[in-house]
Amino acid sequence: MTARSLGWSIFGTLMVAFLVAPLVLVVAFSFGENPHATLPFGEPTLKWYRKLFAGDEFWNALYNSAVITLSVGLLSAVLGTAAAFGFVALGKRLSEAGVRLVSLPVMLPPLVLALALASAFSATRIPLGFGTVVPSHLVFTQPFVILVIYARLAAFDHALFDSARDLGASRAQIFLTITLPLIAPSLIGATLLAMAVSLDDFVITFFTIGGGMTFSTLIWGMLRTSLDPSINALGTLVLAATLGLSIVALKLTNYRG
Amino acid sequence: MRDARLRAIAAVMPSLLVWIGFFLAPLVYLFIVSFWRVRQYRLVTDATLDNYIAAGSEYQHAILFTVVLAGFVGLLTTVLAFALAYLIRFHAGRFGNALLLTVLTTLFGGYLVKIYAWKGLLGSDGIVNRALLETGLISQPITWLLYSPIAVVITLVSFLLPYAVLPINAALRGIADAPIEAARDLGARPVRILIDVILPQCERGVLTAFALAFFISAGDYVTPQLVGGPETFMIGNFIQSQYVNRMNAPIGSALAVVTMLATLAAVALVSFLYRRALRACST
Repeated sequence: MTARSLGWSIFGTLMVAFLVAPLVLVVAFSFGENPHATLPFGEPTLKWYRKLFAGDEFWNALYNSAVITLSVGLLSAVLGTAAAFGFVALGKRLSEAGVRLVSLPVMLPPLVLALALASAFSATRIPLGFGTVVPSHLVFTQPFVILVIYARLAAFDHALFDSARDLGASRAQIFLTITLPLIAPSLIGATLLAMAVSLDDFVITFFTIGGGMTFSTLIWGMLRTSLDPSINALGTLVLAATLGLSIVALKLTNYRG
Repeated sequence: MRDARLRAIAAVMPSLLVWIGFFLAPLVYLFIVSFWRVRQYRLVTDATLDNYIAAGSEYQHAILFTVVLAGFVGLLTTVLAFALAYLIRFHAGRFGNALLLTVLTTLFGGYLVKIYAWKGLLGSDGIVNRALLETGLISQPITWLLYSPIAVVITLVSFLLPYAVLPINAALRGIADAPIEAARDLGARPVRILIDVILPQCERGVLTAFALAFFISAGDYVTPQLVGGPETFMIGNFIQSQYVNRMNAPIGSALAVVTMLATLAAVALVSFLYRRALRACST
């Protein structure tokens, strides 16, 4: 092993440790007796999970997070796919500008978008709730679906469609029997990514939900009020959900960069 | 033909309407409100520049501090992300994909959970200090690791790094092996290849990574609030407090507009310098 490759190995190991360590610790602490985030972990225990499940707040948050995440996922998939098809049909110049435009919300600091949305809702007297959170999430989750499906469609072999049409297939038939099966893995993957992003969001949820509680606003409450150790248990559950979603998503989209 | 075009526009429409209704319109409203006033806790329509004058005078230091700190976070994140993506593309061999997957799975570790975890790691009783004490590198716990700008930088970099790897990784994958091998066969050193062949080709990936890390950290208020301590106030904290605690949306909006303009200018400057530096160094 040369000095250079040794250097790269050390750098790679350090970076992986830097990225993974905080997450590993949260999981480890959630199963340990020690209520403070310090070593040693203490005896293995499930008491933080028991404490978490005993409160109503957790079940409320679970319900709200599930409703929001599933609605956002479904709507991102439908709207994003339709938009990707539309953009592809609009020609290269127009579609690239369009895709870049609808992707802008991902780049904006969440606080700015959150406050803009909150003050616009209050000015138009739209009551806060699921009806405001879901479209507010949609605006920064739909770009993931649009980008993935647009890239997939742009790389399509159009001979397939031409021959189907020449053989008399209707537009609906072509979509259901050729296009949809071809984009299905990418679509499911992108949808799961959109759901993971939605579940992970705190700032925009916090300002657009009004009174309700989701997993992320519940964690925020725990962080602010007391250092409640069941925060590790909740963090682990959210982590498991988002990691599960994104690993399945990456596998399905066969992500290679 | 016209039919197909109409159909395409109809297909784009729902997404576009969401974009207009929940992105463009609120931002335009935010911009308009920044010229209004607040009187007795009520918004009054106006056309005043007072909010911008206040933003420029009272919050000058906060804006500067935010741009510098976010610029540092953006730079550090981009350099580390580039090195990681470079390692994955050129040096990791068959471990490359495993490494990429590991980085990507940390994308959605939970924003608040990560901040909370770093709070536990960096405290004077935390694991980082414990480890340093055990190994004898320090004799006293380092107290400025937590509740300081350092803690904000560490937390933000760890949160943003996976996001920054994505565009750079995509850009590095797009670079063909042939020109790199040709340069190597002709005797170019790795640094020369990096400057003359690789960096010019992944300009967009690198700048996207920087812009993303910079914008997100410039607008963040949760990280400084939770790990920054009483002295580290970023502009996001002031914007949030103007809106939420003082009910002064106009000043908050003016601050948000100024911050967006300042960050856009900074990103434009960095893009310009990147191109200039590459041209100056290339042979």
